[in-house]
Amino acid sequence: MAVRPYWKGYLKLSLVTCPVQMMPATSENEKVRFHTLNRETRNRIVSHYVDAVTGKDVAEDDEVKGYERGENEYVILEDEELENAALESTKTIDISTFTSRGNVEWIWLDTPYYLSPNDPVGEEAFSVIRDAMESRNMVGISRLVISRRERAVMLEPRGKGIVVWTLRYGDEVRDEDLYFERIGDEKADTEMMPLIRELIKRQTSAWSPKMVADPVQARLLDIIAAKKKALKKPARPKGRTTPPPQSSNVINIMDALKKSVEAEKRAKR
Amino acid sequence: MLEPEEVAAAVPESDKTLKIEAFVPCSQIDTTYFDKPYYLAPEKMGTEAFVLLRDGMAQEKVAAIARTVLFRRMRTVLIRPHGKGLIASTLNFDYEVRSSEQAFEDIPDLKIEGEMLELAEHIIGTKEGGFDPSTFDDRYEAAVAELVKAKIEGRALPKKKAPVASKPSDLLQALRESAGLGAGEGKPKRAAANANRGTARQKATKSAQKPKRSAAAPTRRAG
Repeated sequence: MAVRPYWKGYLKLSLVTCPVQMMPATSENEKVRFHTLNRETRNRIVSHYVDAVTGKDVAEDDEVKGYERGENEYVILEDEELENAALESTKTIDISTFTSRGNVEWIWLDTPYYLSPNDPVGEEAFSVIRDAMESRNMVGISRLVISRRERAVMLEPRGKGIVVWTLRYGDEVRDEDLYFERIGDEKADTEMMPLIRELIKRQTSAWSPKMVADPVQARLLDIIAAKKKALKKPARPKGRTTPPPQSSNVINIMDALKKSVEAEKRAKR
Repeated sequence: MLEPEEVAAAVPESDKTLKIEAFVPCSQIDTTYFDKPYYLAPEKMGTEAFVLLRDGMAQEKVAAIARTVLFRRMRTVLIRPHGKGLIASTLNFDYEVRSSEQAFEDIPDLKIEGEMLELAEHIIGTKEGGFDPSTFDDRYEAAVAELVKAKIEGRALPKKKAPVASKPSDLLQALRESAGLGAGEGKPKRAAANANRGTARQKATKSAQKPKRSAAAPTRRAG
């Protein structure tokens, strides 16, 4: 799949450096996309950048970042200068630490990227780093500048490649104690535990791609298909349709638990 | 053309319920689908059942897959125990996530074994440590401020040396040297090969001495 890479740079472990490229794992590609149209003419709408003083159009090449140092006094910074900003982590992922996967809790995972070698010259070095992490069951920790911010990143081997996760900043994760205060130190009823575990076991299944399928997309595509057919007649908006009821293999845990608790109480009397 | 009402009509009404459809062993969960995490806490009446569910999932080492309507969008969420409570992570849909297999299909299937693998494993061992994401400091803003200052003062901007890819024929030697240096890596002992590395390390240690989060946080937000 030829996709233009989002980022190109280097992966480094001590003295071993290999050229790599990175692309975001999440893509907007196949979502049902809408263009914004002018209702009157059915033409697409575009946006224009104009000079705030002259009102004239500005070419993209002429757009430049300026730092305001005083009243209308700017220091011009070229994109290249900003990109480099004297930090090694703009161009190189230098793995400084390794730790076990369990040490980085899921809550810290922000955005995943796929990292792969960019040049046959570096394929072996890349594979060595990846396989060593895999065999020691560890993840790599490093720094990387993305979108003008330096992020902590976690490197995780996956199949033939490596997944790079940006990690959230400390002040981006709210303190859980605030929200979990009401729960306190309450422990689960030990007599109820075997019941809930049995319930859970019965409802446990393997991960399946169906779990991440989108029922709404399918419905939207149906609507669009129906509209295409009716294109000769001006289509009137359909009334609000109620979706079919959820399938019967959904168990309302709370009801089930309440019933179990009731049953136990009765049994004890 | 679709009117906004029609698009909205395709989404079911929100019934404010997280309907659990199944449990999945945590080890099987594909984290690349994770979107946003939310803390879940019980309302007054539900603590007993909440805690039971939490501990049950923890002991069975599973997470729950549920569906709900959030902000007028049908979402799938993954619910799992977290400390005293639960976290619900919205999941992206399949068409929103690229397949890692496809992304990595052009990578050749190289067998790495023997000395190279052992050396790399050893290097990893020497760099093993804990990691606390909450203490990470973003040095970018400070670096940009340095840049602007240098421009204003008419100073030359620091020139970064371009990283040099290891040659395949040098790989084994590079691994040996890396493993040999071990903890004393910071010292720029060698000449040519290490030139970039030395400077880079010095820069890194300098920045690490700067005050951490409290200083970094306000400047970062300005970016």
